[in-house]
Amino acid sequence: MTKIAIIDDDPDILDASGLVLMSKGYDVVTAANPEDGYKIVKEHSPDLIILDVMMNEPDDGFFLAQKFRREKITTPIIMYTSVSKSFGMDYGVNELVPVDEFVEKPISPEQLIKKVERLLKKKETK
Amino acid sequence: MITLVPSWANRYADFWDSIHKRNMWLIKLRYGAVVMLCGFLVSSGYILRLTFSRTQIFALVFINIIILLYNLGFHWSWKFVKTETGKFNPMHFSLLQMIFDLAALFFIVYFTGSIETPLFMLFVFHMIIGSLILPGFVIFSLAGLVILIFNFLVLSEYANIIPHQTVTGLISIPLYMNIDFIIAYDVVFIFVIMISVFLANHIASQLYRIEQQLLESFEKLKAAETEKQKYVIGIVHEIKTPLTAVHSYLDVVLGKILGPVDKKIEERLSRAKVRSSEAIAMIDDVLRVSKLRLLDEISYDEINLSELIVPLIKKQSVNLRTKQIMLNLFDGRTVKKNIKGDKFLLEIAFSNLIGNAVKYVGAKGQIEVDIMDNDAEVSIEITDNGVGIPSGEFEKIFADFFRASNIKDKSYEGTGLGLSIVKQIIERHGGSISVASPSKLGCEDRPGASFFIKIPYL
Repeated sequence: MTKIAIIDDDPDILDASGLVLMSKGYDVVTAANPEDGYKIVKEHSPDLIILDVMMNEPDDGFFLAQKFRREKITTPIIMYTSVSKSFGMDYGVNELVPVDEFVEKPISPEQLIKKVERLLKKKETK
Repeated sequence: MITLVPSWANRYADFWDSIHKRNMWLIKLRYGAVVMLCGFLVSSGYILRLTFSRTQIFALVFINIIILLYNLGFHWSWKFVKTETGKFNPMHFSLLQMIFDLAALFFIVYFTGSIETPLFMLFVFHMIIGSLILPGFVIFSLAGLVILIFNFLVLSEYANIIPHQTVTGLISIPLYMNIDFIIAYDVVFIFVIMISVFLANHIASQLYRIEQQLLESFEKLKAAETEKQKYVIGIVHEIKTPLTAVHSYLDVVLGKILGPVDKKIEERLSRAKVRSSEAIAMIDDVLRVSKLRLLDEISYDEINLSELIVPLIKKQSVNLRTKQIMLNLFDGRTVKKNIKGDKFLLEIAFSNLIGNAVKYVGAKGQIEVDIMDNDAEVSIEITDNGVGIPSGEFEKIFADFFRASNIKDKSYEGTGLGLSIVKQIIERHGGSISVASPSKLGCEDRPGASFFIKIPYL
């Protein structure tokens, strides 16, 4: 079963996103802060990570993504962003940003599923 | 080398810039003085019935030629004077000019009769100019020196050490031997020079200080504005977070992920979703404006305008179909260069403009997007035949939160932030935006509007 990790400090977003993905038959694990997020990724080795850029601090999610990449965890990452407090980085998928896809919150269930499916397919073909 | 920099000149760039400009101003003024001295020499015999001796004419012509020559020298070297600390700077340049001028004036005064010539009043004028440029201690020293030399000259003539040069026709009795006359004139002269220098120097430095304070206040205001924007971003973001959660739950329920939903409930929830989307869109607008104001630098990507605009038009295809709007894109560019700009920001700008056109054109409307260019710039014209913009509101529509009076009470939704963002983005790219209504597509009941955007090729 395909497993997706969602890391976001908003429990309602975790719940809602989880419901959407579970309805499509994905297995979902969640974490509400970067530390737990790191733990669940290590523990469950999910096929995809959905990560909020801003948790306790602006750019928390970004640093976590960097940490994953440094530890050679190549799991595709979708990053939730918002026109936000986070100023440190350019939004755009490039080598400085170890993320496969950016989506701006709120994202519709259809779009979320589409992005997830696309990234998973891309991962398979790799 | 003395620094010559007054303590209040802490804003160096501005300070040196103004001194440098004043130097050129002095040089130009001096050309005028040369012409005036020529005029004086030629006309004095006719108008004032003055007679100069051969020596006097020779000396004055010679002095005038010297002034012209050293002024040409100053003019030529002006551009080489750089503001480097510890080197010859515009302040030294001013002082040098001052010294040359004072020397020349002393010779002119001597050859036109020293205490008897009205020309010695020109010292006052020179001192005032000096006070505007040079720091207090320098100009006061110069003033003291002028007074000393002048007194030395006058007293030497009185004591017959230096031969007196009389201008025949000016004064009938020789006054240079009259000690009461000398004292009276000299005292007034010293008094006038010292007071003028004091006042001019005082006012000049005070003006400069006020300018400094203004600049400092302006900078403080700018910093406060930045703080305010950060605060706004923080708060608005806090408001967006719960709204996003609400929105996500509405999506879950409406997506029937939790099970079937009663039709009546579904309708109301759909409305709730529309309204929460409005709130989120408005919040995003506010965040974008604040961010744009906060971040001074924008990135510069190579952008092909049609590649930027075509996808934005495609995004509107559903709206265009349902409202039966005809949209034509005309690319009449000849130079076809890429522009340099921030892709993200330009997308916001053009999607706002195209979105507005679609929003306000109404069903069965017509929209035209024309892209033209020349060597210097690319121009984009977005024209519709919609509700138009009342004349007299052309400038205001670009202000924050302004919505034209003819759309406020109708069912058009919007925050009134769109065009203010557009304008800022275009201006950040060195471009300009203007509007006209009615447009070329307009008719009586659908006047329409045209937006003209110009972005320079860099």
